Amino acid sequence: MTVLILTCDQDVTADMVVVHLNASGVPVVRLDPADLTGGAALSGEYVHGAFRGHLWSAGRLVSMDGLRSVWVRRPGTPATRVAEPSAWLTEESSQALYGMLRSSTARWMNHPDAARRARYKPWQLRLAQRSGLPVPATLITTFPQAARDFAARFPDLVVKPVSGAHPQEPPRAVPTSRVAPDTDFAAVAFGPTLLQRRIAKRADIRLTVVGERMLAARKATAPDADPEEVDVRFAKDDRPWRSSDVPARIADGVRAYVRDAELSYGAFDFVEDADGTWWFLECNQSGQFGFVEVDTGQPIARTIAEWLARPAADRPNRVNGTGTRVP
Amino acid sequence: MQPFALNYARPAAELDVATPYAYDPGLQLNVLFDGRIAATDLALLRELGTTTSTAGSKTHFDD
Repeated sequence: MTVLILTCDQDVTADMVVVHLNASGVPVVRLDPADLTGGAALSGEYVHGAFRGHLWSAGRLVSMDGLRSVWVRRPGTPATRVAEPSAWLTEESSQALYGMLRSSTARWMNHPDAARRARYKPWQLRLAQRSGLPVPATLITTFPQAARDFAARFPDLVVKPVSGAHPQEPPRAVPTSRVAPDTDFAAVAFGPTLLQRRIAKRADIRLTVVGERMLAARKATAPDADPEEVDVRFAKDDRPWRSSDVPARIADGVRAYVRDAELSYGAFDFVEDADGTWWFLECNQSGQFGFVEVDTGQPIARTIAEWLARPAADRPNRVNGTGTRVP
Repeated sequence: MQPFALNYARPAAELDVATPYAYDPGLQLNVLFDGRIAATDLALLRELGTTTSTAGSKTHFDD
């Protein structure tokens, strides 16, 4: 039984998992959907009440029946590396590939339907609340007056993108940024705006969930850190991440979250305040983990490999087919 | 007419680092020019930041 990894060639983070799968003798097929229909190919037939499908990638052929798991890591957009790419060909290739893969009994990390839903940050915030995780007061609005009222109630705010996407042409990033007290909120009318109470943090937390296992890492905030620098991804601080225990209340909440989100992998971002409370910021369903493993030595790649290597379920035990069991 | 959040935008930090490895389709791994597997050189990965959470990706939402 084979592990199928959907990712791009340059994904060296996926390599960290492939190394472990190779060491344990688990067959792997790595396929970038962008390579359809050149370096990758597919075929499936529905005959006499049965389905038989095959995938081919760089000389390796695998049957859909022979898949134990599918890891959706950093797949390219289907059929974009062909000589004459088109939106139509991409849609055709996407429907063929992911439609057939949905027909298999393989376990997913993460299922595309669960992944798509999990990317909605407003949904994340509500699920985190329902899961019992502390969530900073947040407003998403296109009403300037609502923003002004919110700022009056919570004077120390940050702003961040609702989607997590970043504008292109030219490529720009929108880091989580502190909002000055005298800010003019008129431009809130021109796009949904996410405002959130700033948590005065003493550490950033990255909690990686793989199946039932949680691996937490903590990056302490420097005593002389610039209070304007709230987004750890842009911080100049080069302090390393360190392994951390997970508070029981947070562990319970995270279990509930991944169960209800039907995720088998999730990278949770929290900030820790002066009281030691972990405040939920977001959960990236395909968040990077290599940088945490490099700093902490936590066996994240090995844990992912072990999850992927488990036998396929006879039939999916959840709607999205993740087969995830969370105690 | 610019949305509020874009008042806080900055140029994306593109990872234009020339990586000292290349993908080997036979191994299904990226291989250093000296033949070693890139993913096993954790010091190199730290230096290059290729496994790091970054903002501003053109192709992926999740960091």
